[in-house]
Amino acid sequence: MTLYAVERLGVAIGDISLVHDVSFVVEPGRCTALVGASGSGKSLSSLAPFGLSAGATSGSARFASHELVGLSEADLRPIRARAGFVFQHPLTALTPHLKIGVQMTEAAMALGGPRPDRAALAAMLDRVGLSKPEAKLYAYPHRLSGGERQRVLIAAAIAHGPSLLIADEPTSALDAHLRDAIMEALARLRDDGLGLLMVSHDLALVARHADRIVVLEGGKVAESGIADDVMTRPASDTTRALIAACPKLHDPAPVLPATGRTLIEAHGIQVGFRAPGWRGGRVAAVDGASFVLAEGEALAIVGASGSGKSTLARAIGRIGPCDGGTVTWRGEELPPRRAMRREHRAGMQAVFQDPLASLDPQWTVAQSVAEPLRHLVPELTAAERRVRAIEVLEAVELGAAFADRRPAGLSGGQAQRVAIARALVASPDLLILDEATSALDVLVAGRILELLERLQRTRGLAILLITHDIAVARRLCHRIAVMEEGRIVEAGRSETIVTAPQSAAAKALIAASGQAKGDGAYHPLPPMTIA
Amino acid sequence: MRVAGWTIIAVVLAALLLPFVLPWSYDQIDWDGVRAAPLAHGHLLGTDSVGRDLLARTLIGTRITLTVAGAAALVALLIGTTWGAIAGWVGGRVDEAMMRVVDALYALPFMFVVILLMVVFGRSIVLVFLGIGAVEWLTMARVVRGQVMALRQRPFVLAAEAAGAPHRAILLRHVLPNVAGVALAYLLLTVPQVVMVESFLSFLGLGVQEPLTSLGILVHDGAEDMDVAPLALLVPGGVLVALVLALTSLGERLRDWLAR
Repeated sequence: MTLYAVERLGVAIGDISLVHDVSFVVEPGRCTALVGASGSGKSLSSLAPFGLSAGATSGSARFASHELVGLSEADLRPIRARAGFVFQHPLTALTPHLKIGVQMTEAAMALGGPRPDRAALAAMLDRVGLSKPEAKLYAYPHRLSGGERQRVLIAAAIAHGPSLLIADEPTSALDAHLRDAIMEALARLRDDGLGLLMVSHDLALVARHADRIVVLEGGKVAESGIADDVMTRPASDTTRALIAACPKLHDPAPVLPATGRTLIEAHGIQVGFRAPGWRGGRVAAVDGASFVLAEGEALAIVGASGSGKSTLARAIGRIGPCDGGTVTWRGEELPPRRAMRREHRAGMQAVFQDPLASLDPQWTVAQSVAEPLRHLVPELTAAERRVRAIEVLEAVELGAAFADRRPAGLSGGQAQRVAIARALVASPDLLILDEATSALDVLVAGRILELLERLQRTRGLAILLITHDIAVARRLCHRIAVMEEGRIVEAGRSETIVTAPQSAAAKALIAASGQAKGDGAYHPLPPMTIA
Repeated sequence: MRVAGWTIIAVVLAALLLPFVLPWSYDQIDWDGVRAAPLAHGHLLGTDSVGRDLLARTLIGTRITLTVAGAAALVALLIGTTWGAIAGWVGGRVDEAMMRVVDALYALPFMFVVILLMVVFGRSIVLVFLGIGAVEWLTMARVVRGQVMALRQRPFVLAAEAAGAPHRAILLRHVLPNVAGVALAYLLLTVPQVVMVESFLSFLGLGVQEPLTSLGILVHDGAEDMDVAPLALLVPGGVLVALVLALTSLGERLRDWLAR
């Protein structure tokens, strides 16, 4: 029996056909996943038949014995109500001034259903794995973490008892730590006979939870089949590229460049922030962290969000507050942030998580890339700076054609390449990569990682990599330091940390990667409460 | 939008150029045509109670009002942007102290202060500039401070710092250009406010001095004769309303466009 059957679906906006000949089915109690890179048409394929995205549909999409293609908005509305929808941004999808219980009641009554009592509401929240559901009913959204909010939204989406749930990138806005847990909560809903249609760019993540996978590329189906078959015997290049793009924890150990003398030494770094409230006191974000990094060496600082890893990197790079401890650069102590002079800055550069926010919207690419030269190598003329900027743009595989564009005209991956070019243009010895790939699509992130590997080999760069993805850390870094609550709780060679983690934090990060056993299969996490 | 733009251009051009072609100057008394009706004695819109051409006076009044408003808005822009940018950039205690000063000034009954200044130092157009500008910068300072604080945390500002850019360069090259759009929108919104304030002060008899005039004075004088010569009220009043509406709608459009 099929719950939702899509056959030869086409979606066009104006004269441009964006999706053609896409077919898949969702069965009750089963999960079908649509997977593809950004722009592959996966969201359109899932949302357009329900009238939730722009575009004219053709072909066929049958749900609950109705043909959706060709229905007017008014006719679609009652049918759409028999499905539930979960979207990407849990942080903005709840109304801030209403308690969770009120919003859940609204969702449950949306179709004229009876007013649910407290126990029923609590049961709904319990079903999606939210801890202490009774208390959460009386909480405002800002009291809940991102993961909890996404659980509430899933609960709200199924509160009116739909038979089909469509989740469009339900975990992409969340910390890697939470992604698997949310997927798990979603997948568990199948047990009650709900049919699931999941949309994601993260093949590895989805594959662990879905029954069927449909891989899309350029608006066409590249491959579809049973999840295990697709993962173990991929038949199309698209699938293979998607699988290869995410770094594996148990690939053969990467060959990393040799290291030299000590470059930078951090000792007892302390950073505190003022606690909220008018006499909040101070909260330690980094509490006495120390490490050593040699020339040409790559060190990863891994940890969950809020563990203080970014704060530590910014304190070291003297681009963030630092309250205590010393940083030594080639044997010489670095001055505090405000006293950093040109010669101190020249040695290290940083790349940040959000590529578009990293570039001044009013500057051209060439201007942004040349900025470090203007300050660090003042003897260059403007023309010489531009030549150097274009050289380094070529090194990051963009080239002179991009020189006069502005950030608004760049994709996320291109903008991140520009940010990397800017970091490299003054030939630093150390590159600080602050979650440099985590805001990007899997395929794009994979290509940025390849670029970084190449630069690491050819330029003898030392790298301080900040990430929550331990598989990325292992691929690029000689050593890994695991942070938890502002302290480095474990440090050592990457292989040692990955194969024999000692601390609970390291074990949790490896579990979150879903690759703990190293056999590529999915191993469910033990039930965990998400703070 | 387009209407607002053309209204402003038309009013400004008329105020700048028309006085040169009019046969009457704003302070010239036509002894034959005191309280002339429209079109009588060669006065397009008639004359006032002492025989001065209403059109000429309205144009010169518009000039004065726009000059005062423009200058006061620029003073507000200058002080407000500097104050707000410093507070937002330095942050911490300095920011606290600077913004408390703004709060304290906000709390003063501004009209009362301006009137007091006028009474103590005598009526002068410079004082009108200063008085109005000194109050209108407060909102500008708050707006700019908020923008600067948000920009300060942006990675491209951190990247500039890592690139060795001194604070002055970061402020001038990255922060201010990105604040400029919003500041400009609020500048456009400040101008009509100042027009209103100036007109109000002039209406009270505290603005510019005779024989110079402003839209506010003309409205005041016109109001006295409205039963016999309604145009003396309606013409300057209409120009005032059109200007304020056009500037406000333009400013709001710009602000919304920037907030996209």
